[in-house]
Parts: sequence; C-alpha cells; structure tokens
Amino acid sequence: MNVLSAIVLGVAMGAVFGIALEKSRVFEPGAIVSQMQLRTFLMLKIFLSAVITGLIVLAVLNGVWGVKMHPKALVWQADIVGGLLLGAGISIAGACPGTVFAQIGAGYRDAWFTVAGGILGAMAFGYLEPALRPFLLTGGPGKLTFDQAAHVPFWALALGVAAVLAAGLAVLEQLRPWRDEVGPDVDGLAPAGERPVATGARSSLSSASA
Amino acid sequence: MTLRNKAWSPYAAGILIGLLQIPAFLLIETALGTSSSYVTIAAHIASLVDASVDKMDYLAKHMYGAKNLWQLAMVMGIVVGAFVSMRISGARRQAISPVWKRAVGIDKLSSRAPMAFAGGFIMVLGARIADGCTTGHGISGMAQLAVGSTVAVAAMFAGAIATALLMKRV
Repeated sequence: MNVLSAIVLGVAMGAVFGIALEKSRVFEPGAIVSQMQLRTFLMLKIFLSAVITGLIVLAVLNGVWGVKMHPKALVWQADIVGGLLLGAGISIAGACPGTVFAQIGAGYRDAWFTVAGGILGAMAFGYLEPALRPFLLTGGPGKLTFDQAAHVPFWALALGVAAVLAAGLAVLEQLRPWRDEVGPDVDGLAPAGERPVATGARSSLSSASA
Repeated sequence: MTLRNKAWSPYAAGILIGLLQIPAFLLIETALGTSSSYVTIAAHIASLVDASVDKMDYLAKHMYGAKNLWQLAMVMGIVVGAFVSMRISGARRQAISPVWKRAVGIDKLSSRAPMAFAGGFIMVLGARIADGCTTGHGISGMAQLAVGSTVAVAAMFAGAIATALLMKRV
C-alpha cells in the first residue's frame, strides 16, 4: 500500500480506535489506576474482549486464507525488564502509549506532558539501543508462538484460548458488572460508596455529577 | 449504543478494537500497535539537530515508509476520534483527572505535569525495550499466541499493579 493511502487508513482506523477508547472510558486515568489497584475491571474487560476478537479474526484470516502473522520475538530479559518498566510507567502516567492520545483528545491537559516524556523516552532508547543490544535486546528462541510450541494448528489453539477467555469474562461480569464500575461521573472513579468513607462523600459526588 | 452515550459496554468497545486487526493485517500487513509512533516522532525531532540519526539503525528504520507513517497517522486519529466522541456525548473532562487527588494527593496541573512526564518517559522506554506496548504485545501479540508477548504482558501487569498499590486507594 502506498504511503498516502496508509496514512489515510491510519487516521480512519485511529478515529474508530479513539471513539472506542473514549466511549469505553478505559482511557481515563481513573479507570487505569483503579484497574491496577484491582478495584475495577473495565480495562481488563476491554483488553480481553479485544484479544478474543483478534484471536477469532486471525483464526479465520490465517486458518482459511493463510494470511501471514507478525508475532514478535521472545527475548526473555527484554520482555521482562521492558514489561516491568512499561507497567510502572502506565500506573504513574495513568495511561498506556495508545490511551494517552485519547486523553489528549478528550481534554486532559497532563496528557501532553505524558506524550512529551514518552517521546523523550523513545529518543533515549534510540540512542542507548546499540549499547543495550548485546545483553538486553538479543537472545532467545526468536518468534515463538504457543501453537508452534505445542505443534497444533494456530486456528485451533486460537479458538480454544478465545473460548476459555470468554468464559473467564462471563464469570468476571457476573462478579463485577461493568455498569457498577463505570462510576457516577466521567472520570473513571469507582463509585465513592464502595470506599470505606463516611456517606457524606457519596452524596457530594452525586450532587457534582451532571 | 450510540455516539451520544457517555459510556458503552466494555465488550462492545473491545470487539470494535479487535476488529481493527482486519484492515491492519490485510491492508498494512502488520498488527495493531502504538508505541512505535513515539520512536517515529522522536527520530524526526532528533534528526533536526543531529545529522547522524539516519545512520543509527534503530531510529532510522522508524522514520519513513508506509508502516511507520500508518501508525503515526493512527495515533493522531485516536486524538481526533476521542475528541469527536467526547463532544458528541458532552463527556467533558477536567484539566487533570480527580483520581490523582485520591491516589497521590495532587489536584493541580503544575504538580501533575512532572509526574506525567516521568510516567510517559518510563512507559515508552519500557515499551521500546520490550518492543511493544499494551496494544502491540497485549491486544496484538496475545491474539497471535506469541510467547514473548505473553511474557511482556505478564511483566507489564506485575509492574503496573506493584506501582499502583504504592499509591493510596482510589
């Protein structure tokens, strides 16, 4: 695909992505911090729903039409160290690299600083990469997928995993219905009534919401 | 669920996001991702002052081409989509989320700015070390049953949960 078409498609896909993130409320710092404190589970629900959908989509694309996959390599130390830092940054920023952009669109002013820090982080990594490469970024078995390791067709394992994850989500929804977690206002805060505070806090929050 | 609603079911939103893999794989021949766009932006900024950037493999390979510019266009699209969605439903947000008052006692942008900057720095540095973020390793990597992505996502949740639990209960 030529660059101009790719850019137009990118903007269109991003617009859909941005709408989904905003409507799901998952891009709110409150939703992310409360998920990581295991108080609410909206983020996990969106995340797993997207994974399940992707598993089914790819099972069909790859299983029926042989569309090529693009898994990333397994590099133990890079995945672990990078993942830990990424996670810590997500909680401090109250965002992940993609949702920061939804935060900017929706009006959070601190998100501009998050993006600026992110760009500097990417730049720092770019300059450090040659030095880090030998011990942090290389090694491991390369692009390994679970279906390869288990010697089963991708589509079969993908559909199986999708079914298990969907069952898990059904249980989670029973235990923690999403409507209870969306909160009285649009700031991703779990309803104050769930917090161990005096009832005065709950009534002041409800009078503040539209 | 309409655009006028202030909240959709997380399942509807997640399915919509997952369906974006179709144009990604069929038309761009890659999986959904977002953190590479930070490298694209960084490389272009750095190249304005440092002429040697185009000889640095890692930065140089993120600067041009359909895949890089597609992802950059996509994150710009996320800004637009979120803005339009917010305007249609009227779900206006405050300058900083009130969660920060609960979590770390911060309710001013001036205090939150350095924290956001530091968070962004650590977050993208980690994402580039791991070669992917919540979208690239999470939504895309796990959908492809990639072992490395599963390890990265597990580490990501571990790091995020440990850090969030250091803050006050929100």
